Amino acid sequence: MRITEQAKRQTRSSILEKAAELFLAKGFEETTTRDIAKATGLAAGTLFNYFRSKETLAMSMVAEALSRGRKDHRRRRTGDEELAEDLFLFIASGLRQLKPMRSILGPVLERSLSPFPRRSVCPEGEAARQAHLTAVRGILREHGFAAAPEHVAMTLYWSLYLGVLACWTNDASPRQEETRALIDYSLHWFVQVISGTGTDAGGKHVR
Amino acid sequence: MSADAEKIRRARAVRELRRILPKETPAPFDREPLAELLTRVSGKRMPATSFARAWILGSLQAKLAAGYFAFWLRGKFADADIKARLKSEAQLAAALELFGTMGYLRGAVMKIGQLLANLPAVVPEEVAEVLAALHFEAPSMHYSIVRELFLDEFGCEPEEMFASFDRQAFSAASLGQVHLARLPSGENVAVKIQYPDIARTIRADLRNLRILLQPMRLSGDWQPMLDTLADVERMLLMETDYDQEARSCREARSLFTPDDGIVVPKVYDAYSGKRVLTTEYLPGRHLREYLATNPGQEERDRFTRLLVLATMRPFYRTHRLFADPHPGNFLFMDDGRLGILDFGCVRTLSDEEWRLLLELDQAVRTEDEPCVDRCIARACLFDDPAEMEPDRLATLRRSMEWNFEPWRTEGPFDFGDEGFYRRGIDVLAAVARKRYTRAAPLHLWLSRFIFGSRAMAYRLKGRCDFRQLYRQEFPDPASP
Repeated sequence: MRITEQAKRQTRSSILEKAAELFLAKGFEETTTRDIAKATGLAAGTLFNYFRSKETLAMSMVAEALSRGRKDHRRRRTGDEELAEDLFLFIASGLRQLKPMRSILGPVLERSLSPFPRRSVCPEGEAARQAHLTAVRGILREHGFAAAPEHVAMTLYWSLYLGVLACWTNDASPRQEETRALIDYSLHWFVQVISGTGTDAGGKHVR
Repeated sequence: MSADAEKIRRARAVRELRRILPKETPAPFDREPLAELLTRVSGKRMPATSFARAWILGSLQAKLAAGYFAFWLRGKFADADIKARLKSEAQLAAALELFGTMGYLRGAVMKIGQLLANLPAVVPEEVAEVLAALHFEAPSMHYSIVRELFLDEFGCEPEEMFASFDRQAFSAASLGQVHLARLPSGENVAVKIQYPDIARTIRADLRNLRILLQPMRLSGDWQPMLDTLADVERMLLMETDYDQEARSCREARSLFTPDDGIVVPKVYDAYSGKRVLTTEYLPGRHLREYLATNPGQEERDRFTRLLVLATMRPFYRTHRLFADPHPGNFLFMDDGRLGILDFGCVRTLSDEEWRLLLELDQAVRTEDEPCVDRCIARACLFDDPAEMEPDRLATLRRSMEWNFEPWRTEGPFDFGDEGFYRRGIDVLAAVARKRYTRAAPLHLWLSRFIFGSRAMAYRLKGRCDFRQLYRQEFPDPASP
């Protein structure tokens, strides 16, 4: 029997939902693909038709949350933000979507987004990174920042962003205020560096 | 390292330290360094962006604070072995460099800078004025941070909560900033919002400060100074607790009736939280703007009376000290009322502290000099006046007499009298120059309170019947 696209989407979303429940209840490390398959009512082999591994599955959740964050950012921005403020809104919108998963994210991000050479690159992690950086490039362009060598700016940004994520997943301060201050300062610094002028103003939106 | 190299290194460190020190014996009205400072501050174009402003203002504050610390500390080693002193100074020079760059600059460094620079003994009025201006010109959070904070605190954006919300803060302080908004019911409100993570910054900066002061640890004043720093930390952290501030504000509001002419804004609980405090918006002018309208003497006298009453009533009725009486916290309203804005820094006296003050009050009124001396000794952490050097006791007695002068004067007291104000500066400068600063933590706040409010009244050039107000607010000094 041929499975419809709609049925596939429903199964995929059901797997993600059950996996999220299990990750939160037992922790990422302690949850097995077998547990997830069982909770979803699938055979383990069938689960692998949808997600190659537990990491891929978790990273898909992250990627979807970040995608929702990008939509939120576009919805929330007013067009009056300066560059550092716009980037702050962008990162904060993403983190807000990731927040329900914060307690299990450390090992997931470490495995899927690590900047160090790995034997196998997580395609979902790479896709999430590319989508995130594409959005950042778009924001920079809208503020008229095109001069800085892009690969340098993007490497710098990604390093800061990973640092922010690492801090956030470990942040014990109330409502992760420490991370919020870190994002603010990091972004001012980033904008100063890429503008090379010692000012963090950036341009208003050029659109 | 050879002895010569060591000597050169040490000389360089000491030279560096001396460079940043204020003059050894500053005349209280010495205008030269002050003029330089003012020119530097006013001549410098303010960068438009918040980060650069934070950096520059923060550095200025840090330099001032570092300078005063060094000035104060050097005196601690005046009689010590010269080698020990040089060693300590060299350590201090390195530590001060660290101090100038540490922290987020928005938090405790700035606040401590203000606090120390406000210590009147070493700061002439104009510097206090510059620092008061910095209160308003402190860096602001951009609106995206404010929005995130609202989402965390209330689960919605400011615009969803209020009928209107100004994205630009209209006033800023070192620990927070204030936005104008309108409630759905139509009232205009002031929404004070706290910088993220400020409490942790304060704790971290004060920890660094204690490390910085390590060269002092062998001196006899080490423990009292640690106690004072602990008190400073407690007070700063209290300023980050908006629930507490809301309580203080409500309590103060209940102390005044409409006939008093003093307004404490109403707190809107449904729009307030740990990091957000929403109060009634009071229209009015701050002192500098008010003075620019060139008010008449009668009006100045009226506001001086209100200023005294505003601080005296909470003190005598609830034993609370409004420990931050700087101009930014008062509003001169067009209808003649005085608005009080900020209740973040309110020090409650312990029963023991209150008893000591009562005893001193009684001793001063009955001119019981031995009892006055005993009270001074206890306030300065001595068991008995006999333990104090005669000059220390005499100097502190002069300081105390200046403090009590308005209490002892029948009829209108002229706070605008330059002679009175100068005497206050002179005696406090003497206390600092002679290093007679050992005291229980309360006295740091008392000194801030007394000098802060008198500096305001002096600039206002107002008079009021202080003694009559005192009798009205504290009719029976013998009662607890």
